[in-house]
Amino acid sequence: MQGDVTVDRDSTGTLFRAAVDGETAAWKSLVEGLSPLVWSVVRAHGLRDADAQEVYQTTWFRLAQNLARIREPDRVGAWLASTARNECVKVIRTARRVSPSDDPEVFDRAADGRTPEQAVVDAEEASMERERMRAMWQAFQELGENCRRLLRLLMASPPVSYQEVSATLGIAVGSIGPIRQRCLRRLRVLLTERGFR
Amino acid sequence: MSDDALEAELRRAVELFDPVPSELLQVAVEAYALRALDAELAELVFDSLSGPSRVRGDRAPRMLTFQVAELTVDLEVTVTADGGRVVGQLMPPGPAEVEVLGHRPVTLATDELGRFVYDDVPAGPFSLRCHLAGATVVTEWITV
Repeated sequence: MQGDVTVDRDSTGTLFRAAVDGETAAWKSLVEGLSPLVWSVVRAHGLRDADAQEVYQTTWFRLAQNLARIREPDRVGAWLASTARNECVKVIRTARRVSPSDDPEVFDRAADGRTPEQAVVDAEEASMERERMRAMWQAFQELGENCRRLLRLLMASPPVSYQEVSATLGIAVGSIGPIRQRCLRRLRVLLTERGFR
Repeated sequence: MSDDALEAELRRAVELFDPVPSELLQVAVEAYALRALDAELAELVFDSLSGPSRVRGDRAPRMLTFQVAELTVDLEVTVTADGGRVVGQLMPPGPAEVEVLGHRPVTLATDELGRFVYDDVPAGPFSLRCHLAGATVVTEWITV
């Protein structure tokens, strides 16, 4: 579903300007194209499902409200990412919430549940490939919290900048590459342990 | 397998097992129709949750100020188990109608001094649309 719409920076700017001018279809395309990015940023903060969903909604409501005020339409993806990050930080600081690392639910979601997307895969792809994706997801969830957060953020589509990664995770831009390599190395080991290579 | 190839596979796994929930996509699409074209936007100019991080376990209410031109909206949000209690004050003081936008929309009237209380705000996106004499002002969205 999400693979159908890819939004590069040029078309983002074009879609954004059309949305400012009142074109509902352009807004819908923006939402479809940039939602995976917002979702990745929210997920990288390790929020509970309910909190993640609230932040996602607030982020899009804010964009709709600020349409006429965004000065750089080509950078609306970056605007969404930093808005989502700021909201995540506030939600984490709200006294009601437990600290994310105390919350066992965080990365349990959908590990064994069958999503509609997966049903499509079931029909279209060989079972070996399916098993491999499941093993990949399970291996990912066995990584330490820091690796999960970094890799989840790097999975954003369209991608977030290293500056945004740095701001989100509090690590230096120069450290992102080496940490990514180390995390992927661990992922590879976990995958091998499951009989995949 | 190279790092890039491994990452590409992980990206596919993430898309399969942790996609954006489709009902959320719909909410974001609908946000466009709900945006207020007729109202002035009061920007969030102060939020006690911004800035240096607070002491853990600090239960002090969250303080927020929204501002547009000469109007300010001060809010105090006390967190509850599943939402919050909001105490508000419009400045300059005066009677107004306040629409609470979000998961459970409701309309409140302020008192003569521009004060209002809403005890039962559900957790989630929150914004106020204030109908004043001669103007409508909407506050930036926050997450309660």
